[in-house]
Amino acid sequence: MGIAVKFIDACFFIGSGLSVTFFLLLGGLVIGLTLGIILAVLRYKNIGRQLIARYISILRGTPMLLQLSLIYFAIPTLLGLQLSVLTAGIFAFGLNSSAYMAEIFRAGIESTPQGQFEAAKVLGISSLHTWKDIILPQVFRAIFPALTGEVIALLKETALIATIGGADLMRKSQVLAAEYFTYFTPLCIAGLYYYAIVLFVENLSRKLERRLDRAHH
Amino acid sequence: MLTIDHVCKTFGTHTVLRDVCLQIDRGCVLGLAGPSGEGKSTLLRCIQGLETVDSGSITCAGRVGFMFQDFQLFPHMSVLENVLYAPLLRAKGKIAQKTCMEKGEELLKHLDMWGLRNRYPQQLSGGQKQRVALARSLVLNPDLLLCDEPTSGLDVAMLSDVVALLHSLREEHTTMAIASHDLSFLVQISDRIIILRRGCIAADIGPERFGDLPQLASSLFG
Repeated sequence: MGIAVKFIDACFFIGSGLSVTFFLLLGGLVIGLTLGIILAVLRYKNIGRQLIARYISILRGTPMLLQLSLIYFAIPTLLGLQLSVLTAGIFAFGLNSSAYMAEIFRAGIESTPQGQFEAAKVLGISSLHTWKDIILPQVFRAIFPALTGEVIALLKETALIATIGGADLMRKSQVLAAEYFTYFTPLCIAGLYYYAIVLFVENLSRKLERRLDRAHH
Repeated sequence: MLTIDHVCKTFGTHTVLRDVCLQIDRGCVLGLAGPSGEGKSTLLRCIQGLETVDSGSITCAGRVGFMFQDFQLFPHMSVLENVLYAPLLRAKGKIAQKTCMEKGEELLKHLDMWGLRNRYPQQLSGGQKQRVALARSLVLNPDLLLCDEPTSGLDVAMLSDVVALLHSLREEHTTMAIASHDLSFLVQISDRIIILRRGCIAADIGPERFGDLPQLASSLFG
């Protein structure tokens, strides 16, 4: 009985870090998706191509932990401002994800037949509407599985927020482990939480994918 | 209606159009004949503005509509959305939008596609896709309709459908330029046929000489 109570208490304690994990995931996704789409479209239109390619290369070529530390510790020192752990985390995960998203969207855009752009041009559809209503809906459908993969990767990366003191699932499990000098149970509970979210994301993605397919076939 | 004046077009080192001069009068149906790679599609794409010409000029008095060889319907939109999307974007106000929708409905009914208006392009046959592409072009009231290989990939039954469709447009005095490698098809619907060979106009003939076309084509292309 005592062990079961402790286990449930531990689940609640670690679960209190869920809000931080979700906040980081959603914030990172919003920035990553928005910036990723903008970068991919600009790159396709040959605007700042070299600069964007370098940005993507640097963000994909350096450790996430380094980027997070730079944004939380180094840049505020240089600029003389203080960022909260959550703000720094959202920016770091969002910017890092934008590099991967930009590459996913680039592949999606390039796989869209050139004729679709031409058909829109022939019909006198503006560039904004061409992208918004003609190209991007097709791109989304094509890259949906890759996008799901990126969401899952982002979720797992949010665990790095624990290194700068963010009270997420990972950090909560570490606190509990340090308090009771036992690592196995708290880490397994955190792992179960992460895996449950991943299963939820995968399930949601499959349903959305089926709905998209039903609409198009 | 359309004046093409000494137009040249090169892709890299390959010259596709050489000094092409041509005029199309209002209401005329012009057939562009010749085997693949002789410049028919490029000429249509230059008229539409999908390609820029290297020299010469193209002047068109009015709006140009274009039907792609592979239709290029928007796969995530239904038949009705494909037809109405572009005109509804332009329509300002409820009356203009209602007019657009009525025109779309009328066209789809005329083309016998109204019953399939909620289907998606993947659910249509080649001939049905063609009709949607035609409705999508016609709903914008083009003064000149360009058709690139409208019969490619169609079986005999669908081919006669397309011929009937283009005939009905001809009777409505729609100005058209139709590129096809199928001479017998062009003979059925054209007022005038131009044969392109290596990017030049090798022959420009009226209906009185359509009977000579097979012989002329074999002498030109072997």
